[in-house]
Amino acid sequence: MTLKSDWEIVGAPIDPDSDERLFFTDHGWETIEAAAARIIPTDHDPGAREARVIVFLDRYLSGTDYVFAAADGSGFLKLTDKFADAWRARIADMQQTYRDGILELDAIAEREFGKHFKALAESEQDSVLEILSGAPKPKPVTLGTTESVGTFLQGCFDEGLSFFDALCLHVRQGFYCDPVYGGNKDRMGWRTIGFPGPKSLKDTMDGTYSTTEYFVPEYDWHELVPQLKMRSGG
Amino acid sequence: MTHTRKPDPVDAIVVGLGATGGTAAKVLSEAGMKVVGFDRGPWLRAQEHYSGDELKFINRNYLWPDPKLFPRTLRHDEESVAEPFPFSPTPQLVGGGTNHWAGWVPRPRESDFLQRSLHGDLDGANLADWPIRYEHLEPYLTKVEWEFGVSGIAGADKYEPYRSKGYPSTPLRPTRFGKRFYEACNKLGINGFPIPHAMVTNQHKGRDPFNTTSFWNQYGDPSTARSNTLTTFIPEAVATGNFELRAESFVREIKVGKDGRATGVIYIDPDGNEVEQDADIVVLSLGAIESARLMLMSKSPRFPDGLGNSSGQLGKNATFHEYVFAVGLFDQEIDDPLYGWTGNYISGGTFEFYETDEDRGHIGGCLISASQTCHPINMVFPGRPTWGQAMKDADRDYFSFAMKIGAILHDMPVESNRVDLDPTVKDAWGLPVARITHKPHANDVAMSKWQVDKNAEILRAAGARKTIPVYLQRMTGNTCHQHGTARMGTDPATTVLNEWCQSHDVDNLFVVDGAGFPSSTGVNPTLTMMANAWRACDYITQVYAKGREERIKVG
Repeated sequence: MTLKSDWEIVGAPIDPDSDERLFFTDHGWETIEAAAARIIPTDHDPGAREARVIVFLDRYLSGTDYVFAAADGSGFLKLTDKFADAWRARIADMQQTYRDGILELDAIAEREFGKHFKALAESEQDSVLEILSGAPKPKPVTLGTTESVGTFLQGCFDEGLSFFDALCLHVRQGFYCDPVYGGNKDRMGWRTIGFPGPKSLKDTMDGTYSTTEYFVPEYDWHELVPQLKMRSGG
Repeated sequence: MTHTRKPDPVDAIVVGLGATGGTAAKVLSEAGMKVVGFDRGPWLRAQEHYSGDELKFINRNYLWPDPKLFPRTLRHDEESVAEPFPFSPTPQLVGGGTNHWAGWVPRPRESDFLQRSLHGDLDGANLADWPIRYEHLEPYLTKVEWEFGVSGIAGADKYEPYRSKGYPSTPLRPTRFGKRFYEACNKLGINGFPIPHAMVTNQHKGRDPFNTTSFWNQYGDPSTARSNTLTTFIPEAVATGNFELRAESFVREIKVGKDGRATGVIYIDPDGNEVEQDADIVVLSLGAIESARLMLMSKSPRFPDGLGNSSGQLGKNATFHEYVFAVGLFDQEIDDPLYGWTGNYISGGTFEFYETDEDRGHIGGCLISASQTCHPINMVFPGRPTWGQAMKDADRDYFSFAMKIGAILHDMPVESNRVDLDPTVKDAWGLPVARITHKPHANDVAMSKWQVDKNAEILRAAGARKTIPVYLQRMTGNTCHQHGTARMGTDPATTVLNEWCQSHDVDNLFVVDGAGFPSSTGVNPTLTMMANAWRACDYITQVYAKGREERIKVG
């Protein structure tokens, strides 16, 4: 029995430029790539399409070979025993969610516009996503207001999500993940929002990657915490 | 199920090797006891297994319990059927929650031990005083701060009770959002100060702190900066030669002899074999949910309702500290960036609103503090547009222009808020899972509303152009803090443990995690838990193991 602490490192970082399909059919690949491009569109910065979110998604959905990158990003962990069983079952469910989702995207597209989803204009694709999600397309954030929400867990696991919710989450993941997972090509997702991000996961293990420059450069605790001055009689 | 040969008996067994189990392993083995420690999770190697991989640590449960293997169920009232829900997903592995925690380690306050004396009978709650006082814990708070490694400045917190010693390590360099917090506090007359942090910023006990990656909260730390029992107390226990660690070994039952005393445990080893390990003393430190579950699963003719449960109180009065907060968005046209993703999660905080003020319309209060808005995939921006140009714009405009101020809800103990065994749902070993029944007390709802609104007010003073308050709707266990399922107290009819974390019913069974807490306190509980565990283990080695008994008299 290989323990979780001894999971073997296998494979290599995913090539974002690969056109090889491990899970999707050609039609599924093109449909999801088009949908992802509406979730994070291309503007003056790259979007999901350029960041190769589709490669990230295809590999994730292909089985259990790309679940956890090795800590240093040299490859992926080979799951064993109960962990492998749990992930196999989970990925199988998610594969079905995507197969059904692609059919649904096309069914809505055919009904509303008489074409497959991938053949529609962008505004038509947005209409299909509105119908699929059951809500209007999100409006821009406005300042000067207060909007309250309820508490939630810190993690964001995809198990049991509907197709639309899973797709939105996965596209974010593919846009902003460490590039070892096949998305965020050339760290373009990070660059879009100004996140420096490490050159490699290994750089986060040995002190090479540092964010110190984004902290306050000069400070005096007595200025920040006047209580210290009072205490020392200053 | 195959049975293997029985290993030799030992002096003590420690079940669950997180914050308090790691402490117990260290204290007992350093005192010369032969100890075997069990953890159902792996014994990972921090330098080899941890790095800044957001997807792996935050989204795919590399450390969080896999909900297919370790499910829990949740319901909000007695009539409902509990649904599977990853309630309070504290990592179950060697080092436990200290693997992934941000590491806020403020001290509790004197009032935390006196909730009933101060507030009397709060309708619908089950307030109780602790059977110990702050002064009983103070020497142990200091021990943990120095042995484990805590950064802070003594004297910066205007409201801190007596401390016998300062901190071994100075605070981290402030983040830019932290500086905003201090400035806003100073404007409003609030005593902001750097929250003590379970990490070292200088050379301490051979540790070399270098983690400035900002991959901190919920990530494993590959450096030696974080104070984590995996990299501190566990290796110290191993170094004594008295401690043997069995990882990925799942204890499913505490065995009881004819005399009603614990004789050891039955566990399932990594190959699926069932093994019995005998010991003179059994110490539980699985966290309040799993410790209660293991005791409830350990049924015998003498203890038909679970081990040590003659009071019927086992599992009850559970408290969980929901994290509630407000996020502030800043205008990039006029403001400098705050880089909310930087830092070791926390920065400044305050105890200004901790003690009861009747004018607020509720009792108690919480520690509040400014903290990270985290990384790109999971940026904490509740209500953010979920797709399209609006989402992309929101990420681009606010990723470096947001901060948040949160509160650890000081939730009230309520007898019907409890942990028991789910009647139908089983884990991957075929054993009944913990079912949580929880409904917030009215005081919890009022307190969280007041504290979150106060946080939003501070954010506005800091210059936020929009605030997003996150109020308590229901308990999700989002802090991973767990307390109160096996209350400490002097009366065996109404409590499960005595003041030494020792079972009233089974004298050689100790529960040293947060299960013993009679109330949740309004601070992050791990420092208090570790100090309390150390205190109980000192009692085990210095008094109990020598065949003596002592009592603490308070009030």
